Amino acid sequence: MTVIWTKDGIVESDPWIEGDAEQGPKLLSLADALAHAQDNAPFGVVLQPADDVTALAPILDRVAIVALSFPAFNDGRGFSQAALLRQRLGYTGELRAVGAVLLDQVPLMLRTGFDSFEVSHAPTIARLTENRLPGIDLHYQPSADSTDAGQGYSWRRTARANG
Amino acid sequence: MYRYDEFDHGFVAQRVSQFRDQVARRLTGEISEDAFKPLRLMNGVYLQLHAYMLRVAIPYGTLNSRQMRKLAHIARTYDRGYGHFTTRQNIQYNWPALSDMPAILEELAEVEMHAIQTSGNCIRNVTADHFAGAAADEVADPRPYAEILRQWSSVHPEFSFLPRKFKIAVTASERDRAAIQVHDIGLQLKKDGEGGLGFAVWIAGGQGRTPILAKKIKDFLPEEDLLSYTTAIMRVYNLHGRRDNKYKARIKILVHETGVEQLTSEIDAEWAHLKDGELKLPAADIAAINAYFAPRELDARAEGWKELAAWKKSDPGFATWVGRNVAPHRHPDYGMVTISLKPIGGIPGDASADQMDAVAKLALEFGHDEIRVTHEQNLVLPHVALADLEPLYRALLAEGLATANAGLITDIIACPGLDYCALANARSIPVAQEISNRFGDPARQAEIGDLKIKISGCINACGHHHVGHIGILGVEKKGAELYQISLGGSGDENASIGQITGPGFEPDQVTDAIETIVETYLSQRTDADETFIACYRRIGADPFKAALYGSESQAA
Repeated sequence: MTVIWTKDGIVESDPWIEGDAEQGPKLLSLADALAHAQDNAPFGVVLQPADDVTALAPILDRVAIVALSFPAFNDGRGFSQAALLRQRLGYTGELRAVGAVLLDQVPLMLRTGFDSFEVSHAPTIARLTENRLPGIDLHYQPSADSTDAGQGYSWRRTARANG
Repeated sequence: MYRYDEFDHGFVAQRVSQFRDQVARRLTGEISEDAFKPLRLMNGVYLQLHAYMLRVAIPYGTLNSRQMRKLAHIARTYDRGYGHFTTRQNIQYNWPALSDMPAILEELAEVEMHAIQTSGNCIRNVTADHFAGAAADEVADPRPYAEILRQWSSVHPEFSFLPRKFKIAVTASERDRAAIQVHDIGLQLKKDGEGGLGFAVWIAGGQGRTPILAKKIKDFLPEEDLLSYTTAIMRVYNLHGRRDNKYKARIKILVHETGVEQLTSEIDAEWAHLKDGELKLPAADIAAINAYFAPRELDARAEGWKELAAWKKSDPGFATWVGRNVAPHRHPDYGMVTISLKPIGGIPGDASADQMDAVAKLALEFGHDEIRVTHEQNLVLPHVALADLEPLYRALLAEGLATANAGLITDIIACPGLDYCALANARSIPVAQEISNRFGDPARQAEIGDLKIKISGCINACGHHHVGHIGILGVEKKGAELYQISLGGSGDENASIGQITGPGFEPDQVTDAIETIVETYLSQRTDADETFIACYRRIGADPFKAALYGSESQAA
């Protein structure tokens, strides 16, 4: 089973689940997205870890969703891609982690700017459904999510209860 | 030294609960061993040959007596009564039970310690000059910057799944005691023309199977840019470092394959976006962290000079110990004392719980409650009045901690090797012990003078063999242990990678080979003032190869 999870819970009938979009809108590769950006149909883009996210800059306002692929749970390039999308390119739309998404990575993904998750790992789905995340809400670095500053030193942040 | 505030306490407590939850999920099978491995490693838990191992962080090698007593307590309660101080200024326990780990972490948290990022493919415990805050030659104390880096790198959301481990070292003098040129990032604190503090930034040094010295990519990075520039380096590495082969995944390979100019320009381009952002360090924050490391108020103790001279005269053993193990302090009435964890024939870096307690007590009594761990696997009391050296020496002697061999041939660095480590191909400890016994005579050691032997039991080079004046690398060949010897390595400001002499040696030949090398040096040196490394650099490897393998090998 594959579900889409956000901080609001499980998303029913998400149109973007990969390979599930015969009729619906499409998740395109970076090259296809750049080529089809002039089309009217809504589209999303799915990036692989080696893709340069900054190439999306010219078409980012036309993209309905960006998905970043984690081919393996320990391939951490997506964390930097997410940070760049949010903090460098100012992307405010949906940012989804797809692929090997596991529970202990989710809090870090949220902090780097992901806000939706395509999850297949059953124990992860169970914990996310209960909204029991294994994160730490005191942070030693600024990040892309909404946090509060003012914890002694400039680099520290505190998570917002409903951030 | 730094003291936790409420935020730090809260963070470490949450980290312990997080790990407890991860262990529980592993035990119920919710996490596969494959997925659990990076999680436990990021909290210092290894699965070794015989048991789990816990590596506890000692940030920049600084601790107080209360923390040392806690380390002793953990050794006694959860291990077999000893611990092993490492080349990254940490301590390892070789026999704790996995089920005890959360309890150990809670005990550590009580004394403001943890095991965060002592392993795994993340930014590791930041190391620094073990004489920081006491050395006469430093520009300023490097530890406040190491502490800022420690905080910023802790559970960093972007940099917790790097291509490979990432090590940062900080020093603050021209004399490099932190081996910054063999780190992923090496920082040398310095002053610019106007007296402003900043760093020379070196990147992409490392040992392992491809030893490479770091390259200097910035001559002066202002201190307020420390975190923005480090972030730029990390981001470029995280995005572009190789992930297809773990042996080619360190930043040294990225720099090697991309070219240092190209990579530096990518880092600078990234930094241009970050430089004036929220990572810029406010002067007030730098000052606040520095305040924790304010230089100690040390009373004048001029009486020590006269007493010291008299004690040295009456006790040659004490005189030898002072000569080798006490270095000049910035305050003329004080010294920096190295407590050798290299007793003759002993296990390098090991300390018993009783010894740890003794060091804690002596640090309180004579050392202004400060202890350091060195990357050479010794301990240091950085602020001891000359007037207190004699009673300190007597007390250390009683605990077997007064070996007068700092920097000598028996002050050997060795990794745990095949006696403990799951990665090792060969034993390191028995090799170190045999060499130590062979050269244990104090007069002989003194005659040989400064000589660093470093031993690794596998190519990962935890024993720093590449930068040993004499390096020994254990390999496995046809099911048997074999030891390659290299010469001419150095981890200081004149860093160099040692060169392999030739075919390896069987375990029972290693000490003889070392003796041959030492005798060659003694016969070739211009006089006793020419150290081994200076002599090697003058005469090259050939005389040593000829002595080891016979003169016909030179042609080969």
